[in-house]
Amino acid sequence: MIKDSNVPMAMTFPPFLVVLLLALSTGPLCDAIWLNIPKTGTKCVSEEIHSNVVVLSDYVVVSVEDGQTATIAVKVTSPYGNNLHHRENVTYGRFAFTTEEAGNYLACFWSDNRTRGSGEVVVNIDWKTGIAAKDWESVARKEKLQGVELELRKLEGAVEAIHENLLYLKSREAEMRSTSETTNARVAWFSIMSLGICIVVSGLQVWYLKRFFQKKKLI
Amino acid sequence: MERKWRKIWGLIGLLLLNFVNNVSSLSLTITKVECVYKIVRSEGDIVSGNFVVVDHHIFWSSDHPGIDFSIISPGGDILHNLKGTSGDKFSFKAPRSGLYQFCFHNPLSTPETIALYIHIGHIPNEHNLAKNEHVDPINVKIAELREALEAVTTEQKYLKARDAVHRRTNESTKKRVIGYTVGEYILLTIASVLQVVYIRRLFSKSVGYNRI
Repeated sequence: MIKDSNVPMAMTFPPFLVVLLLALSTGPLCDAIWLNIPKTGTKCVSEEIHSNVVVLSDYVVVSVEDGQTATIAVKVTSPYGNNLHHRENVTYGRFAFTTEEAGNYLACFWSDNRTRGSGEVVVNIDWKTGIAAKDWESVARKEKLQGVELELRKLEGAVEAIHENLLYLKSREAEMRSTSETTNARVAWFSIMSLGICIVVSGLQVWYLKRFFQKKKLI
Repeated sequence: MERKWRKIWGLIGLLLLNFVNNVSSLSLTITKVECVYKIVRSEGDIVSGNFVVVDHHIFWSSDHPGIDFSIISPGGDILHNLKGTSGDKFSFKAPRSGLYQFCFHNPLSTPETIALYIHIGHIPNEHNLAKNEHVDPINVKIAELREALEAVTTEQKYLKARDAVHRRTNESTKKRVIGYTVGEYILLTIASVLQVVYIRRLFSKSVGYNRI
């Protein structure tokens, strides 16, 4: 289930940006990182996510040059190569999706050629997955929680996420242990087989050459 | 127009500084120098995090210099400097609020992928507030509890990234075992067949001459 955000390009830029940022500030409590997008080439961020996880991300261009905000293009792809979000020539945007397959999700940013100026573009990327992307406002409204109760509910969510992560780590460790043990057994078997093949091949050589020399009446 | 823009960016800055629970975990590819910036809202916040170089066990030879990592405060001081690492944890108390840079430097030309996780923890206390505001002690306790849980989450992200690296190493070892063993068998067989063919050739012509 992919939810694309159809945010129209603002005719009057500043009010939309302010409204968007107000919306961002009332969302889940998470901060963002700032990245430098080079003038040429793309800058990609990725994360290894397992399936059925909510991913929510907002991006805003922060740098201003000559009174104009630089524009960027964004592309988000799933591990199988499906295009999840693609926007060109934008200054802000948001994408949200629930992961269907486990793997490496990639979000790439590049600077549009239309931007004048020689500087690099700075983008504020807010990337939230799993529990951090949960919409606590709607939970609070639905169950009529507030204040301390809501905070404790958030803590409970965090503890559940930790528990799930632990289970995931445990299962990965078990898989890796079985891989290691298989490799160990294979190394042993293949070495013995290698010795066996060596003996067999040299035996065949000796037998063949003996027959050859006997045929040539040299022995 | 200029003042209006300054106001807008000031407002944006304030709104960005509004977030309390700061979490972000990402993988980046580093070609030469890569910097990630994060805003620390108030002085005294604990910044903790970790990073792991994801590619390295398979492709690094033993004399690879490693990745250099440094944290630069908004005043330009270098808070943390590590040379030649393949992953580390860090934690410090922010001396001032502002924009902190987390910079990676790759001395070689092959791009490396790094899984980075940074968490900025804020516990409200009396010192930061105005005189007539009062911090409810339960909020402080909840914040401390939240920070403890975030510390566990930070550690888990580190373990997850390390597990991913070990998994790659293991799978590469598995493939190498099969590949190199089958190659070894084939080479062995080819070498012995060539030996036999060569000996045959040696004896089929020259002995005939010698006999004559």
